[in-house]
Amino acid sequence: MHMEQPQKTLSNLSRLATGETACITGIHAPDDIRLRLQAMGLRTGRVARVIRRTRLGPMQIRVGSVDLIMRRRDAARVTITASQ
Amino acid sequence: MKRIAIVGMPNTGKSTFFNRLTGSSSRVGNWPGVTVELLGAHTILGGEAVEVVDLPGIYDLHGFSDDEQVVRSFLENNAVDQVVMILNASQLDHQLPLALQIHKLGMQPVLLVNMIDEADQLGIRIDAESLSASLNCPVVLISARNGTGMTAATDALLENMQSVTPVQPSELKAHLHADDEIVSHAELLVSQHVSSPSLLVRKMTERIDRVLLHPVLGLPLFFLAMFLVFQTVYTLGAPLQEAVAWLLELFRGWALDPLANVLPASVFGFLVNGLYDGVGTVASFVPVIILFFFLMAIVEDSGYLARAAYLTDALMARLGLDGRGFVMLLMGFGCNVPALMGTRVMRSRSLRLLSMLVIPFSLCSARLQVFIFITTALFTPKQAPYILFFMYLASFAAAFLTALVFGRRLKSDEPFVLELPPYRKPVLFQVLMRGWHEISHFLRRASTFIITGVILVWWLTHYPEGSTPGGAGTYASMMGDWMKPVLDPIGISSIMSVVLLIGFVAKEIVIGAIVAMTGLEGAALNSYMTTQMDGIQAISFMLFILLYTPCLSTLATQLGESRSWKFTGVSLAWSLGLAWVVSFCFYQGARALGY
Repeated sequence: MHMEQPQKTLSNLSRLATGETACITGIHAPDDIRLRLQAMGLRTGRVARVIRRTRLGPMQIRVGSVDLIMRRRDAARVTITASQ
Repeated sequence: MKRIAIVGMPNTGKSTFFNRLTGSSSRVGNWPGVTVELLGAHTILGGEAVEVVDLPGIYDLHGFSDDEQVVRSFLENNAVDQVVMILNASQLDHQLPLALQIHKLGMQPVLLVNMIDEADQLGIRIDAESLSASLNCPVVLISARNGTGMTAATDALLENMQSVTPVQPSELKAHLHADDEIVSHAELLVSQHVSSPSLLVRKMTERIDRVLLHPVLGLPLFFLAMFLVFQTVYTLGAPLQEAVAWLLELFRGWALDPLANVLPASVFGFLVNGLYDGVGTVASFVPVIILFFFLMAIVEDSGYLARAAYLTDALMARLGLDGRGFVMLLMGFGCNVPALMGTRVMRSRSLRLLSMLVIPFSLCSARLQVFIFITTALFTPKQAPYILFFMYLASFAAAFLTALVFGRRLKSDEPFVLELPPYRKPVLFQVLMRGWHEISHFLRRASTFIITGVILVWWLTHYPEGSTPGGAGTYASMMGDWMKPVLDPIGISSIMSVVLLIGFVAKEIVIGAIVAMTGLEGAALNSYMTTQMDGIQAISFMLFILLYTPCLSTLATQLGESRSWKFTGVSLAWSLGLAWVVSFCFYQGARALGY
């Protein structure tokens, strides 16, 4: 995939370019899924970075001290704004 | 007796700590959620007998996964005198909320901050004393791998246990509800008592991942690694197996054969040709199995399994499964039963059911024994590893086909989020423990299933009186004749069909049953096998064994975990049907092509 201009279209974690960081602003999912994502470290206010992604499958995200792998579909539930 | 419960997130080294504390053997996995059964042990702490329970790794006391519910209901229903929480030193920001949840419940935990060696290397400094003062509970820095801080940990544990007032399970029930303040409290604590570099760099892990998680090379490297594991099992395992067989024969010649002069012929035949040779031949495969588990333990402890999940998730998603399902398939190569229980980390029932439908097709170590035995007897040493690898491919293919067929009915929206632990050097102690665990597991099964099975087969193939042992007129050949219409079209002789019937209980019995039936062993047994089947029949037989059903324990686990007779029935019917159809197509196809 081609590197896009992240700041403009940025809305959720699945669209964050590899190597970029952003601040988590919320999780939009049913309660049980939201709780699970939060417990794994995806909490509002935290900074997330995309380490790598597979072409069709999951992506690797770093939040604080934790590295996670997650599907794009789930990453799309996490809204972000560009961090400075 | 006082009860100590160990809690913590997955990947914090809970099991390692548990092993250190109790000296008993449990498996350690770097893959989140591997510890699924409740492991308990009795041990002496400070002169007092205590019971230690290792609870499943969880992220959240209020979560919805089966594991989280297990922990919750354990705490709600069992009086616990002392909670020990294990935390990963380099992830305190992530882990303290769970500690605070426990603290809030009034359980006065002892916090053991583990993997302090790893945190040290990353430049993380934790002020345990001030953190302890802020939290008002003991905090000890340990490394369960190296044993650092274990004495301080047990001291703190003992001291805390004197003063702690156990919370009544009924009180806990009232308290277990979500609390958002916890997270901000945890963040405050971390900022006050933990200093860490602004950017955590795990150089080693990142360097390895750049290769192993490479977008193009990652998957081929994974399959290469798996192929090497199985190749090693075969090339190292076969000579080991022969060595043990040789030793057992030596013992037989020295101690048992002289008994032929003393005992009546039928008793000698039963005890030595039946029981000793039967169980002995099965036992000769134990080194292969141990070797296999050693290698699996190394792969598991290194942290590579989570990478396997990352690499395979895209493929698994198409099948309606996820990367964890693939890892469970790999775990199933050891034994299907723990792999089935490992699906408890999945929250969605349909995803769990689909994974549990697929796992029994993974070629477990008991089936591996049978395949090594048959391939050694019927194929050249050059062909054998390829036939074996073909069986592994067939195992995957059956699993994928099953997922494709049932995936549409069992859809789920389960989130796929997994922690990716850093690579860790496997600890020899743990790997050895694991090997010991397998030997004791084998001995336990041997004393029940295998001996009973061998005796049963010996009886079936030697009675009624006057029939040719292993031949016409025996009960076994009568049973074989009944099954002929079904098994003839797939090239399985009537005498081997009795073996299949017995193998339904456990695949470990299969080889022992063949020995007991024929009264042969070693080279004589191998050449007997060539009279029973040719190469094509052998492969058809192996395909059938691979697919028809793993064993009674697997079925019982499927039933126990799904709590559904219908699911278990569908699974059994599907695998029996698939086994027959696949063997039929292979056998008839190969014959039609002139092989």
